[in-house]
Amino acid sequence: MKLARLIAKNLKRRPMRTLLTLLGVASAMLLFVLVESLSAGLDRAMGGTEAARTLVVYRQNRYCPQTSFLPESYVERIRKIPGVVSALPVKVFLNNCRASLDLVTFQGAPAEELLRARPVQVLEGDAARFVRDADAALVGRAFAARKGLRVGDSFRFGNITVKVAGIFSSAEPVEEDVVMTHLEFLQRAGPVNRLGTVTQFEVKIDDAARAKEIAAAIDDQFRTAQEPTDTRAKLAFLESATRDLREILGFARWLGIGCVAVVLALVANTVLMSSQERVREFGVFRTLGFREQHIAFLVLGEALILALGGSALGLGAAQLIVETSHVSIGSEGVSVGFRIVPALALRVALVAGAAGALAGLYPALRSASRPVVAALREA
Amino acid sequence: MISIALDGVTKRYTKGEHVLTPLENVSLEIASGDFFVLLGPSGSGKTTLLNLLAAIDRPDAGRVIVGGTDLAKLPSGRLASWRSEHVGYVFQQANLVPVLTAYENVELPLWLFPMSRAERHRRVSLALEAVGLLERAAHLPRQLSGGQEQRVAIARAIVADPPLIVADEPTGNLDHESADGVLTLLSRLNVERGKTIVMVTHDPRAAARGTRRMQLDKGQLLDLQPAGTP
Repeated sequence: MKLARLIAKNLKRRPMRTLLTLLGVASAMLLFVLVESLSAGLDRAMGGTEAARTLVVYRQNRYCPQTSFLPESYVERIRKIPGVVSALPVKVFLNNCRASLDLVTFQGAPAEELLRARPVQVLEGDAARFVRDADAALVGRAFAARKGLRVGDSFRFGNITVKVAGIFSSAEPVEEDVVMTHLEFLQRAGPVNRLGTVTQFEVKIDDAARAKEIAAAIDDQFRTAQEPTDTRAKLAFLESATRDLREILGFARWLGIGCVAVVLALVANTVLMSSQERVREFGVFRTLGFREQHIAFLVLGEALILALGGSALGLGAAQLIVETSHVSIGSEGVSVGFRIVPALALRVALVAGAAGALAGLYPALRSASRPVVAALREA
Repeated sequence: MISIALDGVTKRYTKGEHVLTPLENVSLEIASGDFFVLLGPSGSGKTTLLNLLAAIDRPDAGRVIVGGTDLAKLPSGRLASWRSEHVGYVFQQANLVPVLTAYENVELPLWLFPMSRAERHRRVSLALEAVGLLERAAHLPRQLSGGQEQRVAIARAIVADPPLIVADEPTGNLDHESADGVLTLLSRLNVERGKTIVMVTHDPRAAARGTRRMQLDKGQLLDLQPAGTP
């Protein structure tokens, strides 16, 4: 405890150097945390409870949701296929098919069916008003936070203007970033009237193990139709939609590793300089009766405080950015938010601790093992 | 009270391709309660001998026995503990920790002992009072004069109440007045508290404070007339 107090005082010996090191570590760890929080967001997006029992029916050879036009009438034929529990026709409108930092996704469906089919809970506002008013929308809480929307607000995007009737949470994390509207409203909203066409069908099945078989049965129904279908499990669809993000994330992970290397180099440099300045002082400590391990503790402690302190700052800054910007990355209508969860904070602490310990190891061993007399001779 | 015996001590250093032998087969006895002064020109091996007595260095040959303990036989960890209990070291420069106050610098050696905060406070206050700097307890070293810094260093050397005080040219960097104050303090520790003091100096005025003086030159010891002896 007393030595810890001494470590804290030593860090104030050169306050500017300590501050710059902390800021450097914080910047590097900010990047590391953002990369890891996107990964956590992606994991969460894949972690919905209904994804395994849900199939998504698209137009075959579609490029993106915007290019999938299926007759709404398919829904009745799909519902009759054995194993299908329900089928929901959904019209999707979004602003960008590829990876985007500001994805806006509207999903229109028959209001009452939508509320039955989706595992949503209206947190604010009124679901009845959503059902009643043709231009009403239920907004996912992540989207509402990102756009600063409240119940009663109007939200305009392109030709579409909706009134926020409620804000919902969902057991399916990706749905918390969409705006749910009436099907007909969305069909009429675009520059071309698309009444009678939908983008996709969301099909609930009775047994997840039969997903492949039922998907094949649906596609068989429409194999010779003018608009053939391509049916996949929702999980497979999500994986496909987020493939670009995964590739970006794979590269970003290398940046994250680079950030940890920066932390290591910064802390090692500072601690090495600090311990070299105090060689004689350590000699005095040893003369007073302090042992090698006390000296090692002083040096290692300094490295750990710099690494952990800087990382805490970086984590705090990342939390602030995520909380205030509500930024998310989306692709093909699937939005992935940045998530800083306790497990990530723990991982950051472990990585920072390991980097700090590694950075301090050499200076600590060198300082502790230097003979007392040699240390006292240092200028 | 502690007595010291060096028996056939040799110490060598390698400097580049050269081997230096500041001490060669040196034998010496210092009685408990002595104020022993070691004189000699620069590079004569005075500090080397002092470092051996203070157990911060080991001889290449011979034995160093302090208070009945053969220091060469103690492993590194126990040697450190032994130092903290038996030796107070006063350097030529005060060597205070710049980020600690005078109080905290004096308190440092007590961190190694299981001791209540109140007891530490009592001992630090007594040590600072003994060197006349209790009112400067909260000052950082940079806020003290050179003489005051050296007195704080002496307080640090005596706070754990070690029986042996070794001082390596403690007045070397001080003005006349400050040097006198430090030497008087060491004399009082010797006379009033019975500390065995071994002081290295090349200043004849400082040497005059000793009860016994020896000259070290070319690795050999020469007994000088005790100070004050006609």
